[in-house]
Amino acid sequence: MHWRNESWLYVTYFATSLAVQFVCEYFLGKKHIPFLQRFKNGIPSVLISSFGLSLLLKTNLWWVAVLAATVTILSKYILRINGKHIFNPSALGIVIAVLFTGNAWISPGQWGSDAVILFGVLSLGFIVATRVQKLDVSLAFLGTFAGLLFLRQIIYLGWPIDHFVQSVSTGSLLLFSFFMITDPKTIPNHTTVRIVWCISIAAVAFYLTAFKFMNAAPIFVLVMAQPLVPILDKIFNAKKFEWAKSKAYTAEEQNFLQVVYSKSSM
Amino acid sequence: MKKKFLIIGAFITISPVLFSFCGFYVSKADGTLKNKTSQVILVRDGNKTVITMYNDFKGDSKDFAMVVPVPVVLRKDDIKVVDQSVFQRLNDYSAPRLVEYWDENPCNSYESMDEKKDMAAPSSSINRALAGKVAGAQVNVKVEAKYLVGEYDILILSAKESSGLKNWLTENGYKIPADAEEVLDPYIKSNLKFFVVKVNEKEKQKLNNNFLRPIQISFNSPKFMLPIRLGMANADGDQDLIVYAFTRRGRIESTNYRNVEIASNKNIPLFVQKNFGAFYGNLFTTQWDKENKSVAFLEYAWNVTPINQMKCDPCVGNPPTEQDLVQSGVWWLGNKDWSDYSDVDNEEIDNGSNNVHFTRLHFRYNRNSFPQDLMFQVTPNTLNYQARYIITHPASGDFNCAAGKKYLQDLKARRKNELRVLTALTGTNINNWQDEATAKNDEETNVAAQYATLLPQLNEEMENKENMPVGIIVFAAAMLGGAGLMRWRGLI
Repeated sequence: MHWRNESWLYVTYFATSLAVQFVCEYFLGKKHIPFLQRFKNGIPSVLISSFGLSLLLKTNLWWVAVLAATVTILSKYILRINGKHIFNPSALGIVIAVLFTGNAWISPGQWGSDAVILFGVLSLGFIVATRVQKLDVSLAFLGTFAGLLFLRQIIYLGWPIDHFVQSVSTGSLLLFSFFMITDPKTIPNHTTVRIVWCISIAAVAFYLTAFKFMNAAPIFVLVMAQPLVPILDKIFNAKKFEWAKSKAYTAEEQNFLQVVYSKSSM
Repeated sequence: MKKKFLIIGAFITISPVLFSFCGFYVSKADGTLKNKTSQVILVRDGNKTVITMYNDFKGDSKDFAMVVPVPVVLRKDDIKVVDQSVFQRLNDYSAPRLVEYWDENPCNSYESMDEKKDMAAPSSSINRALAGKVAGAQVNVKVEAKYLVGEYDILILSAKESSGLKNWLTENGYKIPADAEEVLDPYIKSNLKFFVVKVNEKEKQKLNNNFLRPIQISFNSPKFMLPIRLGMANADGDQDLIVYAFTRRGRIESTNYRNVEIASNKNIPLFVQKNFGAFYGNLFTTQWDKENKSVAFLEYAWNVTPINQMKCDPCVGNPPTEQDLVQSGVWWLGNKDWSDYSDVDNEEIDNGSNNVHFTRLHFRYNRNSFPQDLMFQVTPNTLNYQARYIITHPASGDFNCAAGKKYLQDLKARRKNELRVLTALTGTNINNWQDEATAKNDEETNVAAQYATLLPQLNEEMENKENMPVGIIVFAAAMLGGAGLMRWRGLI
């Protein structure tokens, strides 16, 4: 995978995210679910967010890493409308760290093509295994973005095909398509609106990439566009996404959870 | 074991072979002009870029021309020629380095002697070029501007279609590579202009130089890139490109190719000293292959701000002076009149900072591994970095004390490890080093600790050893396993 020796950074992201999640869930979580249970429920989302930070956001300063991870997780609890958080957690963490600390940067060229293929396969595997991410969103975004790039680079400018392949086989684009824009809580509820929304983000990101030479444009566009989601939800009603329900507990398990809950709240 | 510091040794030179940088040479005769190694200085802050191209043109043809795609029509003030020695100084300063240490005899208390060695600077090659003629414009090709700068006649062309540009060049007596057209077309459609450089013989004779000076251009554009695709048109095989970059903020890195720091701070056997240049060449090729070729190698990164005291550790060449930096195009240093570039289009507000960060990137590109031009970004990464290799001279004398015996044991283990590192870095078979690792090449007099003795032992140990991509497998298993576990536990 050609990791650079930045394990301390990854550890910081994961540890901070989990710690912030723990604190937030303790004070701000839904009280009717046992604490341990709701902490556990949030773990997949925390892992995806930390994973996104690890792969995209670089910094040499520990406090920037802590800040990014804190913003990432905290935004899920504080910036909420109608029970949905407004911003994609890791995208917001990245944008804030890059724009406001001046000591962080996005490294889109960090991955080799082997790593990208491996990551693509793993992403699909993860999505199939967990079913928490929405594939239609990924495909709408990726299809539009890659399609426009293809039109521009191959059809209009006349570059050879490998020029285009190089553009779309970056790890950051796949990560964005499969783990960021797909966050079920930060996309419009209505199916058609959701697809149109993804296509629009792809189109704007393409424009900024191809004509303004902006680096990592999709992430910035996503963060700018996300405040629109509550408005779109208001206009187009649809059922809100719910994380898959856990199986029912037996009486013994309930009892156990009660005990754990009462202990953990002391 | 205590080590007595130190001398500093060698460097790598960029082999002075035929060369051009982002452009391609155009010859009037059917010559065999090739590009092999190029050097370029990039200075970037905000939207402003200054590019200095080292001119190492050689060849039997008397005609020289270079075509470089540029984003805007350059004004005369945006073009100048600079002293070529600045490239030599930047290379000497930032090249991969060999560091020497001396072991102290643990049974003695006196200090061993320090020495200093300096290797000779590589001789600069002789460049020759003679002028050709520039005729007027043809259909579909517009001469946007025409300047005489130093010894160069410069034309800025814009074109509507690649065949037009190709015809124009052909009709004006230039021989251009057959496959240049496929590359010209995308550039024209991207609205790039073409910077065509030729030598003005009269001016050149006045200078009484036998080489061509580097050309420096500056412009404002959000594009921070080097057009290498055009240069591939008349190059066969791999071309090396060294980029010396200066920014205010920190390192630059490639945004469309992977960034890799070249292996550094490795302890290598003593005999490498005799041929450090070849060692590094070997190392680079091996690492380049291992990283799948499409990579930007970082060889050096340092804060070279004039007021910063420590500009290298250890220094191989003199750190660039303020004058060198200004020559290189670092316009925010020195007095503003000296570099009379207009900053009106630059979006970045001049914050008055005098910081200068230096990055040395090494590319080896070919058509297959580098389908796109090089795109860069300036990062706030200010960490220093150097490609540094360490040799250690053994202590001499008697080792009759207890500490001395331990020293010999440690020495053997260390030297074995040095051999291991050597083969890993250069990707060579351990047996290839038998010629170098002879007893007479070795400073160590104790036969048991000589490289020649250790080599066969190590060879035995290393047989049947395989390298598995353990990291990848563990990671993949952990990720899928984790997801499966969470699903099984009903968490997701």
